[in-house]
Amino acid sequence: MRLNIQMLISHGRVARKMGLGPKSQINMLRNILTGLVRHERIETTRGRADEVRFYAEKEKDLIPKLFKVLAPRFETQPKAYTRMARIPNRENLDKAAMAVLEYKGNPFPPLQTAKRDNELTLINQLLKGYREQRAQQAAAKVEA
Amino acid sequence: MACRTVCQLLQRRMASSATSVRLSAAEVRGQRSAVFSREQARQRSLYPRTEKIEVTLQIPGLQGTLLVMNKGVSTPHSCARHLTEWYVTSSALALVDGKPWSLHQPLTQSCSLSLLTFKDTDPLLVNQAYWRSCAALLGQVLQDAFKEDFSVELLRVPEVQVTSGAFCCDVVLDPQLDAWIPSEESLRSLTRGAQQLIHRDLPWEPLEVAPPVALEVFSHSRCKQEEVEEKSAQSPKGTVMLYRCGDHVLLSGGPLAARTGLCSQYEVTAIHPLGEGKWGLHRRAQGLSLPLLQQAHHTVWRKLRSRAEKLVEVPTASANEAISDTLTPPSAPEQTPPHTAQQ
Repeated sequence: MRLNIQMLISHGRVARKMGLGPKSQINMLRNILTGLVRHERIETTRGRADEVRFYAEKEKDLIPKLFKVLAPRFETQPKAYTRMARIPNRENLDKAAMAVLEYKGNPFPPLQTAKRDNELTLINQLLKGYREQRAQQAAAKVEA
Repeated sequence: MACRTVCQLLQRRMASSATSVRLSAAEVRGQRSAVFSREQARQRSLYPRTEKIEVTLQIPGLQGTLLVMNKGVSTPHSCARHLTEWYVTSSALALVDGKPWSLHQPLTQSCSLSLLTFKDTDPLLVNQAYWRSCAALLGQVLQDAFKEDFSVELLRVPEVQVTSGAFCCDVVLDPQLDAWIPSEESLRSLTRGAQQLIHRDLPWEPLEVAPPVALEVFSHSRCKQEEVEEKSAQSPKGTVMLYRCGDHVLLSGGPLAARTGLCSQYEVTAIHPLGEGKWGLHRRAQGLSLPLLQQAHHTVWRKLRSRAEKLVEVPTASANEAISDTLTPPSAPEQTPPHTAQQ
C-alpha cells in the first residue's frame, strides 16, 4: 500500500501490535501465558500484561496437569481470575511501563490494594444511612 | 416612635401582630453583635501582659512538638498557622487535653493539642461539629432571607445524627406566613444565600459568657432567653457558649467547625411544617452539605439529596443525650439486617 501520513495516525484503532507481526504476537502471548500458569505471578510490560489477561481467562486447556489446581480454585469466582498492578518503569534504557500479573488466590503475599476511605467519614456515614433506609423500604415492600 | 419605646418596655413577644413597633431585624443583629464585641474585648483585656504557655502537639508525624504561644490570645488556628497551610485549611476542630475545642477559641493554659480533620480514623466528633455548623448556617440564612415585615424566630437546633441524612433547624415564621408553602424557587434562593455565606469564608468565633450577658444579647427574643437558661443550667461551669458568624450571634449545643469555607456542596432541601407549638407554627428546615475535602459525585449527591427532602424525625429523648455525648451510636433502629450495597 501507499506509504502515507494516515498510516502513522491511529485514531480510534484499539487493537495492539506486539513483536514483529501477528504470528510473533501470538507466540509471545503464549510464552507469557505459560510463564503465568507456571509461576502464578509474573512481571512484564503493561501492554503485554493487559493482553494476556484476556487470554488467561479463556485458554484453560493449556496445561491440564496444572489446571487440576487452578480450575477448582476459580469454580466459585464469578468474574475475573487475574489481577494486574502497575509498578515503576523498567530500569533499562527503554524505561518501559511495567506491570505485575497474577492469578487470584496465589500463595504469595498480597500486592498493594487500593485504599478505601474510612467507614466513619461523613460521606460514608451518609451513604450508610441511605443504604439502611433503602433496605428498610425494600423489606417493608416485601412484607406488603 | 413613642409607641415603639412603650412596646419595648412592655416586652411584647415576636408573635404580636403590630409589625411596625419591633426593632428591625438589622438593628437587632447590630445590637447583638455590639454586645458580643464588647464582651470579647472585655475578655481580651483580662490578659494585659503577654504571658506564655506551652502547647504540645499530638499530630501524627509531629508528636511532641512544643509550641510557645500567648495566653488568652493564641487559638488552635494560630498554632496551625505555625505549621503548614495544609493544617490551616484541613483542620475543622481541635482537641485540647482530650476535650473538643473550637479552632478560634483562645487557649488559657499549657495543654496538649491535636487538630482533627475529616479524614481521620475517627472523625465522629468532626462530623457532628460539621453537622451543627451547617444547621447554624441554615438558621443564619433563614434569618436574613425574609423581608423586614416578617419576623423569623429561630428555635433550638435539634441534635441530629449524621446517618439520618439531613441537618435540621427549627424555625417559627411570622403568623402572616402560616399558609406559605416553600416552592422550588424559594429553596433555591435560600441555597444561593447559603453559598454566598460560604464564599465569604467567615469564621465562627466562639465566646464563653456568663448567663446575664447572654440574656442581654438575646433581649429581644423570649425563646432564646429560655434556651440560654436551659443551657446554663446544664453546663458544669454555668457559662454559655455563643458563636458569631459575620454579624449573627447564635447559640449552639456543642463546638462548631472553624469557618464557613469548609463546606463546599450545600443545599437547602426542604421546609416541613411540624404543627402548632409553643411559639406558633413550628417548621423544620432541612439541608444537606458536604465538606470541601469530601465532595460527592453528582449521581451520589442526587441520591443523598432526595433522601434529605424527607422529614427527619428527632426523638426528644435522644436529643437530650446527644447534647452531652456526641459519640452515641446512630439513633435509627435497624429492624432488618443491612443488605449489601445497592448502589
